Amino acid sequence: MHRIVVDAMGGDHAPDEIVRGAAEASLALRDTELILVGDAARIGRILPQVRHDGGRVRVHHADQVIAMDERPSEAIAAKPDSSIAVAADLVASGEGDALVSAGNTGACVLACARRWTLLPGVRRAALAAVYPTELRRGEKNDPFSLILDVGATIEAEAADLVAFALMGAAYAEIISKNPRPRVALLSNGSEAGKGPRSVVEAHALLLEATDINFIGNIEGLDIPRGVADVVVCSGYVGNVVVKMLEGVAETVVGLARYAYKEKLLWRAALAMLSSGIQRLKDLTDWEQYGGAPLLGFENLFIKAHGRSRARALSNAVKVADKALRADLCGSIGRGLAGFQARAAQAVTAPPR
Amino acid sequence: MAVRATHVFRWDLDKTYLRTEFDTLRDLVKSALETAQDKKTYPGAAALLRSLRQSPEHRICIISGSPSQMRQVLAAKLALDGIEYDEFVLKNNLRNLTRLRLRALRAQVPYKLPALLESRSGVLGTPPETLFGDDAEADAIIYCLYADILAGVVSAGELARVLEAARAYDDQAERTLALAERVRRGDAVRRVLIHLDRRSPTAMFAHFGARLVPIYNYFQAALVLYADGVVTADQLLFVAREMLESPEFEIPTLANSLQDLLRRGRLARAVAEELIGQVQTAAAGAPDPDSRRMAEGIAAAFSDRVRHLGGAPPLERPATTPRLDYVALVDAEYQHRRERKRRRRSS
Repeated sequence: MHRIVVDAMGGDHAPDEIVRGAAEASLALRDTELILVGDAARIGRILPQVRHDGGRVRVHHADQVIAMDERPSEAIAAKPDSSIAVAADLVASGEGDALVSAGNTGACVLACARRWTLLPGVRRAALAAVYPTELRRGEKNDPFSLILDVGATIEAEAADLVAFALMGAAYAEIISKNPRPRVALLSNGSEAGKGPRSVVEAHALLLEATDINFIGNIEGLDIPRGVADVVVCSGYVGNVVVKMLEGVAETVVGLARYAYKEKLLWRAALAMLSSGIQRLKDLTDWEQYGGAPLLGFENLFIKAHGRSRARALSNAVKVADKALRADLCGSIGRGLAGFQARAAQAVTAPPR
Repeated sequence: MAVRATHVFRWDLDKTYLRTEFDTLRDLVKSALETAQDKKTYPGAAALLRSLRQSPEHRICIISGSPSQMRQVLAAKLALDGIEYDEFVLKNNLRNLTRLRLRALRAQVPYKLPALLESRSGVLGTPPETLFGDDAEADAIIYCLYADILAGVVSAGELARVLEAARAYDDQAERTLALAERVRRGDAVRRVLIHLDRRSPTAMFAHFGARLVPIYNYFQAALVLYADGVVTADQLLFVAREMLESPEFEIPTLANSLQDLLRRGRLARAVAEELIGQVQTAAAGAPDPDSRRMAEGIAAAFSDRVRHLGGAPPLERPATTPRLDYVALVDAEYQHRRERKRRRRSS
């Protein structure tokens, strides 16, 4: 039986929607235990209101909560009994197998980083995000591409970018059922020599990697086109990219709202496009995807969107369950070990 | 002739003891064609029934809405599970069909209520009762109504209105009213346990008061009966052992079931702590290493679950059983059933 720890107090709609989502997941996942960490009294008042399996849900009390707008490092230091810290502890001590939270991203990453062990060969963990693209991919016809790192760490060296590429490829293969995901480095040009030193070096290393389908460098405009299934970059760049993409999407919605209010003709045009807009909305519905993983640790963390409601949280738990069943962390670890062994062999082999 | 008993246990079968699907015609046909070997018991249900049977003064009555034509196969299934019973009442749906009483085919209240009252009339004195049902149909309403009739808080006029709301035929209503008039009064129903086959939210049953406890599984039933002083710690472990043989249950699942009752205020923390002590004692005196390991594992998991609740208070609920408006409850249940049927058809 897998044990998925859920930070019940993390997120804009916590604990109500988080508990409801976990309850829903307890019915869908027949042999998984859900450990809800947070204010036991509050959780205990929500659970009886929703359908769930009482034998598969456990409550673990935690006194403190880290709010969405708190400064991560200060909050983690000041609140050792916060739900996210206790949840990460449970996984670290082996009482849980994976962690799901919709809470303060920085605090989540920090809580995991301070308690969990990195996989051999990984120096920095990477937070991944998904972005809807024109292209569909894999067995599941997945419209999302994976971008990593989007902010777990600021800087990344060539070896880190290579590790991110291997981890992202393993995730896309297992979760999106994409047998040979196209992996690319994000740069300011498609040529191998373009970009900062770390990207140029990573490019050279990845060209040697036979384990993954490395397609070279891509530029920012290639991301929404879906040219690559896994886009690799440093946390600093990734965070800027993701925030900008979110901002563009919000601006488009804002413009549509403005148009709707401004002119009857524009309103009519939008009404005519409504089914298409709905299809687009369905396609880009982040709630169905659930959450994005923090990769590189021996344990799995799925970060659900801060605005997650029950459906999104339930889907995030299902993603965690799927990753556990497929032994995602083990696969990543084995992939990295294989890559490093071949790299070491290449270094020690005498020149022909 | 009336019989003597120190405690009466009444069990429903489908969705309470047996894992049965009868939401669609196909399910009904499938269920009717199943052999005794095909039928599946909920983990722990047979062990609990066998534990209750251990006292010779306990009376086990099975009252099911299954058609009486299934008596042979159901009796064979109970025999396979090693269940002995004192009474086995089934619904004569063939007779309902031949008399074109189509309403009676599905109606639960006009069938089950008189069956319960008639069975009660056959028992000497006013022994306590524990009733087992499920959330699929109207068991909670029927059992509470029965309990309140025995307690003498339902007048003949109110009962007549309930039977009318339940769409009882005139002769069914007359018979029920006569049985209710005749039955010996006494607040005998100690506990109503509702198996959450549909996983209905437990808050849906809050208005029935403290007497009715919704349960997710039979370990929870055993825990409630342990707290009631009806089963011992050894019998509880017997139920746990049977459940652990099923792939659906592991020690953490049992421990979570205990924690769920604590959170809902259906089991006192002191009772849980007393139980942990008894399981630890059982572990120390276990006859073999496997039994010892199991008991130790259960005691440790239970302690963890109690501790991990912190100081969180359980849900508050009124100590007394509230006065229920059965006409409204029956009406609501009827509407709910129609709504479900409509949804099923449209999907």
